[in-house]
Amino acid sequence: MMRTRNRAASACWSVFALTLLLVGAPARAEELTIALPAGVLAPIIPAENPLTKEKVELGKKLYFDGRLSVDGTVSCATCHDPRHGFAEPRPVSIGVGGAKGVRNAPTAFDAAFLATQFWDGRAATLEEQAKGPITNPVEMAMPDEAAVEAKIAGLPEYGPLFEKAFGDSKVTIDRIAQAIASFERTLVDVEAPIDRFVAGDANAISEAAKRGWELFNGKARCNTCHGHVSAYPLFTDDLFHNIGVAAKDVNFEALAGKIASHPEDLDKLSHEPGINQLGRFIVTKEHKDIGAFKTPHLRNVALTAPYMHDGSEATLEAVIEFYDKGGNPNPWLDGGMRPLALTPQEKADLVEVMKTFTSDGMARFAPLAELMPKP
Amino acid sequence: MTARSIAWVAALGAAALAGYAGLAGMRSGEGEPWASRVVYACDQRKAVIVEGVRSDEKLPPAKAQRVADLLTDLMRYCKEEITATIALDETITVEANGRVFHDYVPGGPLPIAKVSFGEPTPREEQIWKAELDKLVAEGDRLFHSDEIGTNGVACAMCHPNASNTHPETYPKFQTQLKKVALLRDMVNWCILNPLEGPELAENDPKMKALEAYILASRRGVALEAGKH
Amino acid sequence: MAINLTPKELERELRERSPDAERMIRSLQNCDRRHFLKVTARFAAMVAAAGVIQPQSFQLVNVANAAPAPGENPEVLFRFAYISDSHLFARGMTHRFAKGLIKAVDDVNAIDPQPDFILYGGDLAQLGRADELMLGQQILSGLKAPVKMMVGEHDWFLDMGAKWREMFGPDVYSFDHKGVHFVVLNSVQEEDFWTAKGYTPEQRMNIVAGLDDARQSRFEVGEEQRDWLAKDLAKVDKKTPVIVFSHSPLYKYYEPWNFWTKDAEQVQALLFPFETVTVIHGHTHQLLTNRIKNISFHGMLSTAWPWPYAPQGLPEYTVQMFRSDPFNQFDGLGDGTVDVLEGGAANKHYALWNRNPRTVSYADLAKNTLVGPRGHAGPSY
Repeated sequence: MMRTRNRAASACWSVFALTLLLVGAPARAEELTIALPAGVLAPIIPAENPLTKEKVELGKKLYFDGRLSVDGTVSCATCHDPRHGFAEPRPVSIGVGGAKGVRNAPTAFDAAFLATQFWDGRAATLEEQAKGPITNPVEMAMPDEAAVEAKIAGLPEYGPLFEKAFGDSKVTIDRIAQAIASFERTLVDVEAPIDRFVAGDANAISEAAKRGWELFNGKARCNTCHGHVSAYPLFTDDLFHNIGVAAKDVNFEALAGKIASHPEDLDKLSHEPGINQLGRFIVTKEHKDIGAFKTPHLRNVALTAPYMHDGSEATLEAVIEFYDKGGNPNPWLDGGMRPLALTPQEKADLVEVMKTFTSDGMARFAPLAELMPKP
Repeated sequence: MTARSIAWVAALGAAALAGYAGLAGMRSGEGEPWASRVVYACDQRKAVIVEGVRSDEKLPPAKAQRVADLLTDLMRYCKEEITATIALDETITVEANGRVFHDYVPGGPLPIAKVSFGEPTPREEQIWKAELDKLVAEGDRLFHSDEIGTNGVACAMCHPNASNTHPETYPKFQTQLKKVALLRDMVNWCILNPLEGPELAENDPKMKALEAYILASRRGVALEAGKH
Repeated sequence: MAINLTPKELERELRERSPDAERMIRSLQNCDRRHFLKVTARFAAMVAAAGVIQPQSFQLVNVANAAPAPGENPEVLFRFAYISDSHLFARGMTHRFAKGLIKAVDDVNAIDPQPDFILYGGDLAQLGRADELMLGQQILSGLKAPVKMMVGEHDWFLDMGAKWREMFGPDVYSFDHKGVHFVVLNSVQEEDFWTAKGYTPEQRMNIVAGLDDARQSRFEVGEEQRDWLAKDLAKVDKKTPVIVFSHSPLYKYYEPWNFWTKDAEQVQALLFPFETVTVIHGHTHQLLTNRIKNISFHGMLSTAWPWPYAPQGLPEYTVQMFRSDPFNQFDGLGDGTVDVLEGGAANKHYALWNRNPRTVSYADLAKNTLVGPRGHAGPSY
């Protein structure tokens, strides 16, 4: 009972916080807390970027602003689309001038919790991540950080917002990143039917989903990497595994042979055709990380199709098939992958349970979808 | 016995000692390690051996008092046969029920039964041990067999002599299960995963047997629940 | 290629690096473009700082095990690979143990250039059955380089090696290769424990197959084989490097699990007179290193399952693997190679699956300066 009260309270608080954002509260640098159910560990917020309403407001504007890209057509929201679970509905993200990337942009929703950002974990914080796409030639294609700063500084409506958020109107790339990160820290919700079910509400999910949950934690072997832990209900172990997504199209030995030509430019390597398939290896250069990608979190997974780092699995059903066959063999395939011998009923049940990972309160983020450019 | 009768016995004992010593009037063997004399309490079931005093020798008064105090103290254990030894360095060793207790201090506890009812009989202990050994042996058999799983892998392949099972660390957060688990949860996970077999019900006799074997093999290891 | 560091910069990068990392940076200064990845100085320093990359471990399978071209890195004379302890059941190619052996065969086949030969370290079958041995032979026939077979107890005690000898030839033999004298032993002989009890061959095999089954005897080389060894070694110059292949460790580690050779001292006595002796052994399914006087002992990884470290007796030279994860069917397993150096010493390379590889170099072993990936040699669990 206590729990429901807290949940209701936290839902109210989230609504209140968001309402303040949308309505535009008077300018005061008051610190925001991210409201979470009892027992859930809060996301780590860097000390140098305390969360304030003003930063969130500025960050929201930047998040939806195509002018962060060189020709004004691509914003954060273009690939982390609020109409699609803050994720990428195309297999790979497409940047300025139709430049095709190599990654399916992960969801920005609940990303605040994760230990690292990007599919290869090369950014330790949301702040660090936000800077990457802005200057990436296949994404927002700004020539360099100085150009970004100059462009935003030249837009009159931003001056007052920077002043409210940071005390003065100086535009730096770090402030841009901090504001965007602050906004993303409000894109958080961990209250879905599955959470209620795990907490003891037997009616929270359907019978099929319950069977799916048994499989998820049993025969299907999902939970060792995608486990739901009550203190960290993200369905990820924050580690990197080679499950062989692109392995059949890729020669890892030949690729790694090319990697040393620009060993430090991780952003560039992670987008280079071919080489990007090395995944975590690009960052750590550790043998065991060849072809390994981050275990994505599964909150709202039903909203964030397609799946895998290259968007190669279009539906949840396709994902289950991929795991059922044991992934794609390659010399670095994680030893935890193996054929599962699931029956059609079991596969359907697994899909059903994954649908219960969608947060109950997504409706309150719907107004953000209204900010997307109309077709 | 009432306090009065104890005191009376003690007094009699002490008087007897004093009297005997007076009659004997011999040279003291005090300090000679080969010498010792025995003093009995009136029930003939409590004895104190005093080292360094010859058997025909009078006890010096202080030592005599010590002997008397000790006999009185041991008389608490009415039905037991107890022998105490006061060594040259004044330490007291007590022997009772076939067990030896060192550095005894009169008035202190002696972990022997003051009464004998309620204690298991040797026969009972034998039966209990036989039953436990039977379950442990069954667990040993299952642990080493290929019948728990379907792929020929036996628990003993990764856990010879049940090594590396660490049952004393449960409950703990088990990273493969992503939750806090007990030993049998992990046993079931191992059956399902490396052994590719069907999970056992928690009250399945096979599960109990496996647990019994694993726990028996770690007997004496300190409990460290939560240690990863 | 060259690293563009001033001597001062190089010294600064090398300060406080692990000996392996330091050796790698120095070797990269002399490296040849064909066999090493192009590396900038800062990259080399970065990986050295991470402390996780050993000289041979950075590379991928084919580059990692590349033997240097003549004249380059003159230390390494030749390289051989090893695969060991597959414990096959005759349950087809999709059984997890079969998959492990196939994975090892793929690994070794991908080494470029190919090793001179491959040692199979014993325990090809699990229960000594003909169908198990034939499955193993079938899988091993996929290897490109020549294979030297060695027998383990799981191969032997069903029929006392009849099928093994029929399929693979003598269980005890020696050969010379590029100036090194190799000896292959059958070091899993056991004193007869079965006749008196009337055990059937299957019962005998099942008893031996139980690592913790105390009804079997302890492993030994035995008097007959020691005599043979003495005669074989008598023909070998003391300066000739000697490498011994044995299934049991040829020293005494943990008796209850037969990580043990009963007549180890007598066998070692035959080997001590030689200047450089290396023993490569199986049976222990773990990363294991020892040194007794001038003999280095290296355990091979299994392709089937890992054993835990024994409660006591672990040689102090061993830097342990961390406890393996049972979710991952390849964790703690693998194959590997041995680089034989000029002078006959050997560097042992462990190609651990799903983990960073590890090299135990002769230089570190001789000085007892082996450190773990995080810079300390201590046990990791």
